[in-house]
Amino acid sequence: MAKESSVLIYGTNLGGYRAAYALCKKGHKVILLNRGSYVDDIRNQTLSQLPLDFCWMCGHFPQRLFKALGCVQDFYNAELLEVSGQAGDFTVKFKTKPQVVNNFICTECDECIEVCPEVVGDRKAIYVHPEIGWENIYLIDWENCTKCGKCEEVCPTDALKLERSEEVQEVKVAAIILALEYNDPTIEDLKNFSFGKSPSIVKNSEIARNSLLTNFVKDSVKLPSGKIPQNFAVVVTPHFNNHGTEYESYNLSVSAAYRGVRLKEILPESDVTIFLKDYRGFGKRHYRWYKKALDAGVHIEKVDDIKASPKNKEEVNLQYEKDGKSHEKTVEYTILINGQKSPNLMKDMSEICGVKADENGFCNIKPFSCSETDVDGIFAVGEFTGPKGNPEAIWEGCATLTESLKYLGETNFKPPAPPSLRNVDVEEKKIGVFICSCFGTFNDKMDLNDLKETVEAIPDVSHAEIIKGCCTPPSIKETAELIKKSGVNRVVLAVCTPIQKLLKFRKTVMMAGLNPLLSEFLRLREDVINVHKDKVKMLEKSLTLIKAAVAKTKKSVQNPTLKESFTPHALVIGAGLSGLTCASEIADNGFQVTLIEKNENLGGNEKYFDKQQKEYLDKLISKVKDNQNIKVYQKAELKRMSGYAGNFYGAILSEKKEIPIDVGVIVLATGAKEHKPKEFLYGEDQRVITQTELQNNLNGKKIGNQVVMIQCVGSKNDEHPYCSRVCCNQALKNALSLKETGSEVTILYRDMTNYGKENYYQKALDSGVKFIRFEDNKYPEVKKNADALEVIKSDGEKIKVDLVVLSTGIEPDEENNRNLSNLLGYPMDKDGFFDSDVNVYPYEESIKRLFKPYEWATNCIYPVGLAHSPRAFEESILTARDIAGRALILLGKKMLPAPNAMYIAEVKDALCMGCGICVDVCAYSARAIDIEKKIAVVHPFLCDSCGSCVSVCPNDASYLRDFMSNQTISTLDALLA
Amino acid sequence: MNKNFTPKIIYFMCNWCGTGGAESASAHHLYYPENVLPYRVNCTGSLSTVLILRAFIDGADGVIISGCHPGDCHYEDGNFRERKRVATIKSIIESLGLEEDRIWFRYVAHGEGKRFVDTTTEFNDYIKKIGPNPLKERSDT
Ligand code: SF4
Ligand code: SF4
Ligand code: FES
Repeated sequence: MAKESSVLIYGTNLGGYRAAYALCKKGHKVILLNRGSYVDDIRNQTLSQLPLDFCWMCGHFPQRLFKALGCVQDFYNAELLEVSGQAGDFTVKFKTKPQVVNNFICTECDECIEVCPEVVGDRKAIYVHPEIGWENIYLIDWENCTKCGKCEEVCPTDALKLERSEEVQEVKVAAIILALEYNDPTIEDLKNFSFGKSPSIVKNSEIARNSLLTNFVKDSVKLPSGKIPQNFAVVVTPHFNNHGTEYESYNLSVSAAYRGVRLKEILPESDVTIFLKDYRGFGKRHYRWYKKALDAGVHIEKVDDIKASPKNKEEVNLQYEKDGKSHEKTVEYTILINGQKSPNLMKDMSEICGVKADENGFCNIKPFSCSETDVDGIFAVGEFTGPKGNPEAIWEGCATLTESLKYLGETNFKPPAPPSLRNVDVEEKKIGVFICSCFGTFNDKMDLNDLKETVEAIPDVSHAEIIKGCCTPPSIKETAELIKKSGVNRVVLAVCTPIQKLLKFRKTVMMAGLNPLLSEFLRLREDVINVHKDKVKMLEKSLTLIKAAVAKTKKSVQNPTLKESFTPHALVIGAGLSGLTCASEIADNGFQVTLIEKNENLGGNEKYFDKQQKEYLDKLISKVKDNQNIKVYQKAELKRMSGYAGNFYGAILSEKKEIPIDVGVIVLATGAKEHKPKEFLYGEDQRVITQTELQNNLNGKKIGNQVVMIQCVGSKNDEHPYCSRVCCNQALKNALSLKETGSEVTILYRDMTNYGKENYYQKALDSGVKFIRFEDNKYPEVKKNADALEVIKSDGEKIKVDLVVLSTGIEPDEENNRNLSNLLGYPMDKDGFFDSDVNVYPYEESIKRLFKPYEWATNCIYPVGLAHSPRAFEESILTARDIAGRALILLGKKMLPAPNAMYIAEVKDALCMGCGICVDVCAYSARAIDIEKKIAVVHPFLCDSCGSCVSVCPNDASYLRDFMSNQTISTLDALLA
Repeated sequence: MNKNFTPKIIYFMCNWCGTGGAESASAHHLYYPENVLPYRVNCTGSLSTVLILRAFIDGADGVIISGCHPGDCHYEDGNFRERKRVATIKSIIESLGLEEDRIWFRYVAHGEGKRFVDTTTEFNDYIKKIGPNPLKERSDT
């Protein structure tokens, strides 16, 4: 039976978007069902998933790219109705209603707002979404809309239709991805914190949103009376809320620390207290935020319970329990950092497509998988499967590509071939200026004809013309024809936002047969029409801007897109869980993998795993060994490596023999090791052991009557300023097993960083495990008193014990990492793991979308699993599958244009003296000094067009193709003429 | 203060957050002085000292540079390098007889349209107060 090739995605959480992007890139069509009426309608709540204030929506939102590629079909106001068939061949029925304002055709001219007669406060009945900065979304306030139809009449592109009818559609797809968004806690859910009862009690996400236009400033926390509060409380609500109301995601503790730090920044005199149960910042660099908050003078109170209630109009009363005592505090402002609720569509989804829910009401995922639900061919990602922060959601999106490929048929989407460009070097320079009227809507704001006539008079301009637009498919075509007809070979487009429409503008120029380097776009709307009122001055400013653009294009030089081959071969360094997973996923999809392991055996940290995990790993090892596409070298290491993304070449050393290899991507799966404690009598007394040693000894028999566990041994200290992430859950699991055998267990801890689906913490509390907190720098002591073993707590109390179990953390293999880091030129972080900012805050990476897609973000060297940061078993698998997905997107392609193709930096050979300053400054390792020519060279695959090299070159030898010094100087001269 | 003096101000902004700030301002129809002329570059880190000095030599009365917030630069640390460079430029222009405050560096994020507009108006008022670029009168530049 022939398999279908398309994939349907229901919901728009981040994981879903990322999956859509990855699938398109791999060549599969995607049908995207958005439950809301505009792109971010529901997902917009994502702001509270971010630990930081900056929204980054522009970055991880690939819609424009989808549109440009033409591979995503999106439906709005959609509802999934029926699913039938099986993996590889599903039939899906859904309901949809097109958007009132089709935001793909809408040019954002604001005409509709102008004509709307219904004024509601400071806006009209049709208005621009106040929160989304990167794209103007037009909304209608149906309560105040009279359906007079004036807006519809005036819309120049027919993007607006007040009446749209609902339709039911049926599609055939190979796989379904459920990417439903989470529900934010309601007023009722947050009643313990009196949310909604006072203007002094607000959600953190609201603050982030309200400060979008201004940055986080004093006014962001202003009370209605105009007073700026000085006394703040930041409360992480899921720590204290009734069980099951809301769930804590990865980011909340960091969000709290971040908010504290920012409050201190804007109001240094203020008093800020963070209330949480434990600081559960277990992600990469999260613990550093804790330190940062303390250093900034923020108080962090770890309390057992807290309730907030309004005291009067501008004050909030906090009642909290700490160390068994009740306390009270009055503050002027309370910020709630809230969690995520389980999805309310879970039940419907179970009925429609058979997926099962887990005990907390999230979608269940099969063990050891990242996104496979209980039904084959149906996947779930993001917060639909559990509380999620952005990083995990985004990783899952790519991991689901890896997991779903087996159900998909042949690829069914190919981006259209670029138009052929003509060689203008043989022609005489002719500059054309095309002034956009935005479908006529600019006419009454400025005298465009007047502008056109003045522009025609500029000596360098040989043609000027007013165009309708170049952002909708017909207008792009029309403008391209006009450019062709005018016979010009350099183009200035006086249009609007390049952030949103750059690809369209470039397309217009290319369709006219010209290299886009020969064009310049200026923002008539953003820089003139929308922001000024005086018509004469507007005309003057437009003219100046056009003159500057003309001066630049006059000096433009055409240049071809660079292409290179991409070696369809991956190198995986390290054969632990992550390495094996990555290798096997890549090889399963038909690509060659070289897997090297420095030890004799495959399996890495196997001895730390439990029974099921070991079984899984053993299967994986034999799968890898049997795979024809994987060449495994044991006791081997990397000898040298040069080249760059897609084109690495080097050698490995195996059994004293050097074996040359050429690869396209490199996966760093070097793992990490267990911290070996020197303190607490470890190694001196047999009764002091580590959690792993305990785990391996557990056999259902009683090991001792009194067992004390000490957490954070070798983590969160000066030497290792990070949380090792796995030890708390491991301790809880072991404590539960010990409890079953009848032992008394006491856990001495700083913060219980338990997380994940299973609530071991609650289970341990219920079964009578004792928890005693100690202060960050007051560790308990372990002493031998004659033959008895004693633990002395920080308050001086002594406990006689039979067994002390140390929760030792994870430590990077620094020496090994450093070697590789030097060999590959890949950075390490301060903690000794491999760095990768994009993995810490991955929403940052796709922001380079217009210039550089995210699979390139680390230049095809990817750290996974423990090589990147401490990770639990499933999380290591997740990072490995994410990376496998990214690699699979690239490895499939043979000839790729360099990601930045047109706009890269280059070197004028004659001017370069080989000083190497640019090599040092390039953050992307894109530059090197050519050994023979002794001058700088640029790797087109690595250059990100930042221009740093341009600004530092003392000889003006370095330039960007669209930012050459003669261009910049002429532009500036023209602006200031 | 000369009432008839309209300063020439060049606003260098990076293609990401700086430009985005200007676009949010436009989306919300926030007005600012017409004499502020935008100059977009990919990242503020690509602005060389020479180029900025050129602006003053060409007669700009003031220069503002806006890049992404710390940690947000789309090219790792271009914004920091530029901020450092601005410090140097301040001392250079001082030695040329210009006030060091004729150049401002301010972070503006994509959504911060209000901040963008506030920056332009504040700067414009300030330059109006301190008067035109004296280099314009000199012949040795
Ligand atoms: S900084 Fe300029 S002169 Fe020095 S190596 Fe780079 S391109 Fe050549
Ligand atoms: S433009 Fe940036 S990325 Fe490209 S070579 Fe220069 S410094 Fe490196
Ligand atoms: S990209 Fe905005 S400052 Fe570098």
